[in-house]
Amino acid sequence: MRPLKFPLTDFFKVSSKIEVPHPRAIDRKRLEYIRLYAPVKVDVPNARLIERDALRYLFKDHPKPRRNDRELVKRDLPEPSVLEKNVLSPETPGSINFPPFKITPELEKKANQRIAQYPADQSRSAVLPLLHEVQHHFGFISPESIDWVADKLNIAPIKVVEVVTFYPGFRQKAPGKLHFRVCRTLSCAMGGSYELMARLCEITGIDRSGADGQKDPISVSPCGNYSVEYAECLASCGTAPVCLVNDDFHEGLTPDKAKDLIAQYNG
Amino acid sequence: MSDIKYLPGKEPHENEHRLIFKNVDRQGWDTSIDTYLEDGGYEMLKKGLGMDPKAVTEDVKASGLRGRGGAGFPTGIKWGFIPPNNTKPVYLICNCDESEPGTFKDRYIVHQDPHQLIEGMVISAYAVSAHTAYIYIREEFPEAAITLEKAIAEAREKGFLGQNIQDSGFDLEIYVHRGAAAYICGEETGLIESLEGKRPYPRIKPPYFPAAMGLYMAPTIVNNVESLCHVVHILRMGGQEYVKLGTPRNSGTRILCVSGDVKKPGYFEVEVGKVTFRELLYDMCGGPKDGRKFKAVIPGGSSSKILRCNESFKIGRGDDAKDLSFWDLPLDFDTLAAAGSMAGSGGVIVMDDSRRMSWVLNNITHFYAHESCGQCTPCREGSTWMKKVSDRIENGQAVPEDVKTLEEIAYQIDGKTVCAFGEASAWPVEAMIDKFREELVGETSDTNDFKTDERIAQEEFLSKVQ
Repeated sequence: MRPLKFPLTDFFKVSSKIEVPHPRAIDRKRLEYIRLYAPVKVDVPNARLIERDALRYLFKDHPKPRRNDRELVKRDLPEPSVLEKNVLSPETPGSINFPPFKITPELEKKANQRIAQYPADQSRSAVLPLLHEVQHHFGFISPESIDWVADKLNIAPIKVVEVVTFYPGFRQKAPGKLHFRVCRTLSCAMGGSYELMARLCEITGIDRSGADGQKDPISVSPCGNYSVEYAECLASCGTAPVCLVNDDFHEGLTPDKAKDLIAQYNG
Repeated sequence: MSDIKYLPGKEPHENEHRLIFKNVDRQGWDTSIDTYLEDGGYEMLKKGLGMDPKAVTEDVKASGLRGRGGAGFPTGIKWGFIPPNNTKPVYLICNCDESEPGTFKDRYIVHQDPHQLIEGMVISAYAVSAHTAYIYIREEFPEAAITLEKAIAEAREKGFLGQNIQDSGFDLEIYVHRGAAAYICGEETGLIESLEGKRPYPRIKPPYFPAAMGLYMAPTIVNNVESLCHVVHILRMGGQEYVKLGTPRNSGTRILCVSGDVKKPGYFEVEVGKVTFRELLYDMCGGPKDGRKFKAVIPGGSSSKILRCNESFKIGRGDDAKDLSFWDLPLDFDTLAAAGSMAGSGGVIVMDDSRRMSWVLNNITHFYAHESCGQCTPCREGSTWMKKVSDRIENGQAVPEDVKTLEEIAYQIDGKTVCAFGEASAWPVEAMIDKFREELVGETSDTNDFKTDERIAQEEFLSKVQ
C-alpha cells in the first residue's frame, strides 16, 4: 500500500469510540481510513462497497484530498448509487467458483446477437437475455455487470436494477458450484420435496435457517460447492418431486435419492 | 396412426386421442428437422402459405379452437381483433411460460417436438400477418431454449423461416426470449411488459388489449404453445372436420396433466368433454394409492376452485338441467364452469384422504404470496396476509375466527385487481374454505392465543396511547 502523506491521527481518535448507526450516515472516506489503518475492526453490512469506492477514491479516479480540507472531501464523494442501495451482492463461500465480472469479446459478441433480436429502437427488450448471459458466465448479477448492461443498452442503471430485483431467476449472490433448485409447489410437496430439501441440506451441510423466500432465497454451503433454493412450480408435476441442478433437470427424486443425485456430480 | 410405436411403459391409454402429443415418447423420435420432415412435417406450412391469410383465420374460427392457456378464449376470434386499419407491425408471441402449478403439457412439446410448434407459429403468423414472432419460454426450461433455437436454425436452413418462406413472399423471424422465473409472466400483458425489458406488471384492460396495443404498442397476438400446435392439425383436418372432435363448443383435443395422489400420474391427450373424472382418475390413472380414497381434486391448475369428490352438481339450465355427481362430470370448459370451477390449463391435481386441507391451502397461499407482482394493493397485501393466516391454521395456532378472516381477505382481492392473478390467488382459498370449512375450523381452537409480531407491536403502541 502506498504510504499516505497526510496525518491520520484524527481518524484514529474517532475510531476507538465510533458506533455504526447506518453506513450512509458516516463519512465513508473516514470510515475507510479507519478500516484500513485503525487497529479496531469495523464491520458494516456494505463495507465491501464502501471499501471499493474509497480505494478508487484514494488511488485512481479522484484527486487526492487536500490536507484539512474536509469540505472538499465531502463534496467529492460520489452519491451512493442506486446499485449500492439495492444490489449488494454480498460475498458467499460460493464466490470462489466464479471469476469477477469482466467484459470479454465473447460476451460482447453474444450480447450483440441478442440485441439484434429486437427492433432497433427497442433494445431495452434485451435486458433479460443480457442478464442471462452474465449470470451464465459469472454465476450471479453483480453491480458491475448491471452497469455494463445499462451502458450496452443505453438505459439508466435503475431500469436494469428493477429487473434484477424483481425476477427470482436472477441471483444477486454467488451460488455454489452445484446449485439445487427444488420445487416446493403443491404436487412436488405432496411427493416429498420438503424432505428432499432437508436431505440435501443435511448432506451438504447447508443451514437454511436464514433463507427468506423473497429477498434472500439462496443458501450456500460453507465449502462453497453447493447451494440450495426453493423454486416455484418447475412444470413437471407428474414426475414429482423434481429439482434443477444448475441447468440439468432431474425428476422423480424421492428424498432417498438425494445422496445419489449429489454423488452423480461428484463421481 | 396405428403404426406409431411408443416407448415401453409410455404407451397412450386407449381413451386417448393423440394429435399434439403424437410424437411424445415415440420410438425412434428426436427433435431434428429430418425426423419431423420424414413424418410429413411442414406440409401444412406449405398448404397454409398457399391459402389466403383470411381463409386460415376462418378455418381456425370454424374449428372452434379455444385457447389452451387457461382462459379458454376462442383463438380464431382473438386473431380477428387486430384493427383492420392497422399500419404498425404485428407481433406473434408464443406463451411458453408454463408456470401454473399442476400443468406440464408444454414442457413435452418444446422438449420433444419443437418443429410442430414452429410450424404452427409460421401458419399463425401468416394468418395474422406478423413478420416477427417471439417464443417467451420460462427460465426453468434451459434445455428447451437450446432445443428451440437449434430447431429454428434448422428450419431457417431448410427455408421454412426467414425471407420469402417457400417462395410464398412471406417473411418471418422467430426468436426465443427467456423469462426469469416469474409466474406473472404467464399473464399476456405481463408477458409483453417482460418482453419489453421491464418488470412484468400486467396492463389494465381496457385499453391495453394486446390485439390493439400490445408489444411496443403494436398489435400483438399471444397464444399458448398447445393452441399454436393445434393450428397445424386444424389445417390438416380442416376446421369443419376438427370441430367434430370433442363436444359442441368444446372442440378438439386437450392435454390433461394429472399429478398428486394417483397410481399413475401423467399426461393424457383426450377429446374435450369425452372423458369424465371417473374414467380419468380410475381407468387412466389407475385409481387411488393402495388403501386410500380420493378426497378432492383441483381440476385446472392450482388457481381453479377445488372440487370435493363426494359432491354433486346441477349442470345445465331449464329442462336440460341434470344432477351429475363429481365422478360423472366431463372435463370440458363449460361443464367445469357450471360446476363452479374452471378447466383452466388442464392441470388436474388429486388429493387423497391422507392430505390435510390446511396443509394444501398453506402450500397454495405460499405460492401466490411469492408470485404476486406487487402492482395492485389488494393482491400484494392480501396474498401475504392469506399466507400468514393459513400458516397459523396449518400450525394449529389459529382461532376459529381466523378461517372467517381468511375468507374475507380472499373476497376482498377477488375482482379488485388489474389482472386475473387476484382471482387466481383468491379462488382456491374461497373454494377451499367453502368446501372444507369444518375441517379447517376443526384445526383451530378458541384457547389459542398466538400473536404475530405486528399484533404485539400494535398492542404495545395502543397501550401507550391510552
